[in-house]
Amino acid sequence: MAEKTTPYLQNDDSTAADVGQPIVKIEHLGKSFGDHAVLKDIDFAVNKGDVTCVIGPSGSGKSTLLRCINLFEKPTVGRILFHGEDVTATRKPYLLRQKVGMVFQSFNLFNNLNVLHNCTLGPRKVFKMSKADAEQLALRHLKTVGMDAYVNAKPRQLSGGQKQRVAIARALCMDPEVLLFDEPTSALDPEMVGEVLSAMKTLAEGGLTMIVVTHEMSFARDVANHVVFMDGGVIVEEGAPAQIFDDPREERTKAFLSRNKAVN
Amino acid sequence: MLLKIWEILSKYYVDILIGVGYTMLVALIGTVVGLVIGILIGVYRTIPDPRNKTALVFKKIGDWLLTAYVEIFRGTPMMVQAMVIFWGFAELNDGMTLDVTVSGLIIVSINTGAYMAEIVRGGIISIDKGQFEGAHALGLTHTQTMFNVVLPQALRNILPSVSNEFVINIKDTSVLNVIGFTELFFVAKDIVTQTYETFPTYLLVAIVYFILTFGISMLLRFIERKMDGSKNYKVLGSQNMDAESFAREARNG
Ligand SMILES: Nc1ncnc2c1ncn2[C@@H]1O[C@H](COP(=O)(O)OP(=O)(O)OP(=O)(O)O)[C@@H](O)[C@H]1O
Ligand SMILES: [Mg+2]
Repeated sequence: MAEKTTPYLQNDDSTAADVGQPIVKIEHLGKSFGDHAVLKDIDFAVNKGDVTCVIGPSGSGKSTLLRCINLFEKPTVGRILFHGEDVTATRKPYLLRQKVGMVFQSFNLFNNLNVLHNCTLGPRKVFKMSKADAEQLALRHLKTVGMDAYVNAKPRQLSGGQKQRVAIARALCMDPEVLLFDEPTSALDPEMVGEVLSAMKTLAEGGLTMIVVTHEMSFARDVANHVVFMDGGVIVEEGAPAQIFDDPREERTKAFLSRNKAVN
Repeated sequence: MLLKIWEILSKYYVDILIGVGYTMLVALIGTVVGLVIGILIGVYRTIPDPRNKTALVFKKIGDWLLTAYVEIFRGTPMMVQAMVIFWGFAELNDGMTLDVTVSGLIIVSINTGAYMAEIVRGGIISIDKGQFEGAHALGLTHTQTMFNVVLPQALRNILPSVSNEFVINIKDTSVLNVIGFTELFFVAKDIVTQTYETFPTYLLVAIVYFILTFGISMLLRFIERKMDGSKNYKVLGSQNMDAESFAREARNG
């Protein structure tokens, strides 16, 4: 049982050696389900403060990539580095997930707990925070997303947009170094998309490091500082939003963007 | 007829109450212990397979033993189990028998545990995968996820089945008369040997059983409704409320 203590457990993210090093780095990552290769040779890095948007057609592997980053999926080949440390085969993925949060398309709020306790569960169980401290923390983050008035509500009593904002507050309570979003607005009615996107924009402006899989092109253009276009399990093209949206180099990117424009 | 029942009741009510007491004691404790056994097995069975080879082998052996336990106790009558365990103990201890009450508690508990294991497992696998992922994404371990998120929901969902097991146990403790346990049915047999009033006695006992099971059903349904909580919530209003009073309202609300 005497396992080497992992540095990412103890150190703050801002040690001298860390400067200029990406928080998450992905090297030659591949993932297959059976003989279906869903991701092929992905290389990708996230630096502190980056807001990366991942776009691409359905089935291109965006969710799978995101789920590899927090080890929900085990990569078939390649490595995932967290502050330079290889975590691909760790036996304690929950230690990584304490630092790499995730917000889901389907919210996944805990149905048995009210809004406040959805937010306090993580800090209380994982950080052993006192009840009072956890509640203060939760209220602070619920305020950020404009949901502090709903502390007593159960998830089933909330609208989709409200649920997603609570889910974001819940993730923030863990003070993640990176927050992953998997199509956070895709399950929402159109009139609720705005409230969630604006909450996310606030976070981005506050300096939170985020990776956002999204079909909201205007969000990607306005908020991201880096856009990744995926198709068929590979990164076809990546760059600054202006470059990707106004001056795409690859034919596949052009085709995807024009198809998307036609829809919107 | 009614008069006869009344006579039996007024003469033997103390014995009947003792029988009721033992029946309820064994049914209640058996159901609770059975549920605990069921939860432990249910949780064990949903632990993800370890990557380590040796650990995996042990997990598989454990799985196999638990399956054997569940299938054997579900596949044989409790009356027979009672005889095998009671006399098996005597056989192994030079004829010394185990206290009948203790025997009764053990038998009903492990018998109920076998049924509860399946009920709990069903409750756990019916919980949406998103609930597990939501918890894992925060960095909670499997055990923390189980006890804080999944089990509370699973237990709420299986409460009707658990109530049902309790009611079954109230009735089925009657088979423990084969080892001489003085539950309600045993008391009835005893009364009959003294009064020779077979029909009125058993009719009376049937009524008592029904009152017990029906009462318990009503009680548990009431508890279910309580657990579901109120349909409404209060939106906390004033902007200038400080965090502490917010938290206080949240706790009380
Ligand atoms: N657990 C799984 N088992 C088998 N195949 C899977 C699994 N998860 C995903 N896939 C397959 O991998 C491919 C990529 O899926 P993924 O969900 O990553 O795509 P996506 O880009 O997120 O699509 P969308 O925009 O529709 O969400 C799909 O073909 C999908 O069917
Ligand atoms: Mg997806």
